[in-house]
Amino acid sequence: MTERAGYLPGLSGDEVDWQTLRFRDTDSLLEVLVPVLSDAQIAALTERVRNAGREQLKPMPVAQIVDIVDRAVARLLDRNDLYRQKAEEILPIVTGYDADMIRLGLTGYLKTFRKPELQKFLAEDFTNPLILDDFQPMPKGGFARAFGPDILTHIWAGNVPGLPIWSLICGLLVKAGNIGKVPTAEPLFAGWFAQVLAEVAPEIADCFAVVWWKGGDAAREDALLKESDVVLAYGGNDPLAAIRDRVPVTTRYLAYGHKVSFGVISRAALDIQKASMAAHQAAYDVIRYDQQGCYSPHVFFVERGGRVSPQDFAQYLAHELEAFEKKYPRRALSIAEARDIAAWRHGEEIKSFAGEDSGLIGNAENAWSVAFIDDDEDLSPSGLNRTIKIAAVDTLADVVPRIAPYKTLLQTVGIAAPPAELYELSAALGLAGVTRISALGHMTAPEAGWHHDGRFNLLDLVSITEIERSAEAAADTFAPYAD
Amino acid sequence: MDFTDKVVLVTGASRGIGAAIARAFAAEGASVAVNYLQNSEAAETVVAECRQSGGDASAFQTDVTDSDAIPPLVENVLETFGKIDVLVNNAFRPYVFDPENRKMFWELDWSHYQTQIDGALLSTHGLCKAVLPDMRRRAQGAIVNVATDLVARPTIPYHDYTTAKAALIGFSRNLAVETGPLGIRVNCVAPGLVYPTEGTRNTKEDVKDMITAQTPLGRIATPEDVTGPVLFLASPWSGFMTGQTLYVDGGLVMS
Repeated sequence: MTERAGYLPGLSGDEVDWQTLRFRDTDSLLEVLVPVLSDAQIAALTERVRNAGREQLKPMPVAQIVDIVDRAVARLLDRNDLYRQKAEEILPIVTGYDADMIRLGLTGYLKTFRKPELQKFLAEDFTNPLILDDFQPMPKGGFARAFGPDILTHIWAGNVPGLPIWSLICGLLVKAGNIGKVPTAEPLFAGWFAQVLAEVAPEIADCFAVVWWKGGDAAREDALLKESDVVLAYGGNDPLAAIRDRVPVTTRYLAYGHKVSFGVISRAALDIQKASMAAHQAAYDVIRYDQQGCYSPHVFFVERGGRVSPQDFAQYLAHELEAFEKKYPRRALSIAEARDIAAWRHGEEIKSFAGEDSGLIGNAENAWSVAFIDDDEDLSPSGLNRTIKIAAVDTLADVVPRIAPYKTLLQTVGIAAPPAELYELSAALGLAGVTRISALGHMTAPEAGWHHDGRFNLLDLVSITEIERSAEAAADTFAPYAD
Repeated sequence: MDFTDKVVLVTGASRGIGAAIARAFAAEGASVAVNYLQNSEAAETVVAECRQSGGDASAFQTDVTDSDAIPPLVENVLETFGKIDVLVNNAFRPYVFDPENRKMFWELDWSHYQTQIDGALLSTHGLCKAVLPDMRRRAQGAIVNVATDLVARPTIPYHDYTTAKAALIGFSRNLAVETGPLGIRVNCVAPGLVYPTEGTRNTKEDVKDMITAQTPLGRIATPEDVTGPVLFLASPWSGFMTGQTLYVDGGLVMS
């Protein structure tokens, strides 16, 4: 099976060099052809996208863009659609994730980009979204209008299916010309989305492009970076720093680095009836995309004093992970990933000497690992791929000092607690650097319009042009109707 | 069925059905803890047979109807073998299955019932409780309790014995619900009349003939007949079964 990645308006397939990436699962071999562009081709592509963005997107009412995205997303939600079928067939081979997990994940994710959700999304960042279409009156006086960049460059990372379309849609909503670079780990979905967009709205078909180069290819990156007005990049701190160093100082650079998320479970959620539900939801957060997301939990802090103890909870969680392994099996691990898990298990085993009840649950053959620590334990990254730690705490407030060292890395907290505790703890967590609080079982599915890493997804992309009151008043004096 | 590296504790395993179960596990590569009450010679014979057949085994003398004696037994087994994957509660208070001389209901008092309930339930309760911490730590385990098909069809009303075994099935179902979310399965095997065992040595031919005549498979059970279903319920082959009772009586009871 062969599939072509990318979306290159104005460039025919014959003009471009293609490199082959190979993906394997147990019974299929997939060859993905990724484009290798010359500097001249990148320049031509950029020029085309910039011009088309100015001519087509910039004058288009944002409501019309919402409609276009809604129609494209509807296509991808339709299981009879060719691209949807392609995604369901091919993404499991590319990413290794279980096919059902991808199918359900795609639907849940794409649903958050339907028209009503996009409208919420706009309203989250703009009191009056019409500010994207025309100058709007401002409370302080005068008028303002928001302009998206001519070239918004996206450097995507990771292999969670569909993630790139998040920022691509943000770019479209602010009427930017978009050039996205797909990661080698999942090079396909963004290109398919671009093709669907072009099919549902041919008038904007030249307003975006999807390209590829090998991660860290500085020459290719430079060719694009110098043409960009805003650069959005995802990934680890080292590659992000390398990109930052090459982004021209006049270009706005928005970096989304690796994050660490965790869960908190109050003793109120640990009666005999509710505890098993909490364990089920917590396990779901762990298994979704095998903890590859920034919102995936690495530790659950569990309060002592409930009818179900933290240790009992760890054991329930272990069985839930075992049950999920039958439903959504973990993907095949690379040697390096298996080594990471072994190292994590070894580390936890050593720590378990601290407490008699502490230790690993299950054995190394399980496709999951649960460590229970009945002692003071700071937040720490897991071994990924369904490795999770349960740390006992006397009170939920004890969690705060344990996460303090990770302030710059914190993102999502899944909480099971009664209302008073939820709000009290949320205040402390926000102060500590946490930017998103969800229910257990929802950690990996942020709601539409969330503020990724606490930032304004759309506002960060635009520049505001203001007509001050003085200009308005002065203009009056030059008007033909002036007395 | 491969039980290599699995540790199985079988109670009442020096003779009869228990010994057959111990040998069957060992033949599939298991390490078997052979619990017995009195006959150390018989127990050592079973251990030797287990080792010969390719598994490992050790004998552990303990009165499992003495609740104080159970935790040390489980500790000993854990010290010897490191873990317990499977617990087979097979031991019961000695009972003579003699249809002609059985006690009728009005000849029994509560102490008879209590004796059998202690024999079937007290030991099982104590052992289940004692092995759970180890099984929970590993989020896996299988418990198989030996009941009787008389629970479903009291061909001969051995009131005290059968009532205790009926309670054992109820106990097992409740435990299955409690430990299912922890990955631990609990099931029962309910044999029909098994011959020869200590309890059935004196069973008359006419009784055996009567049962045989009503049994679709046309004979009565041997101890070895019971082992297959026990091993099945202890193995991953029954990984999605819990709270069940398998009747092993040639089709006498169908449920």
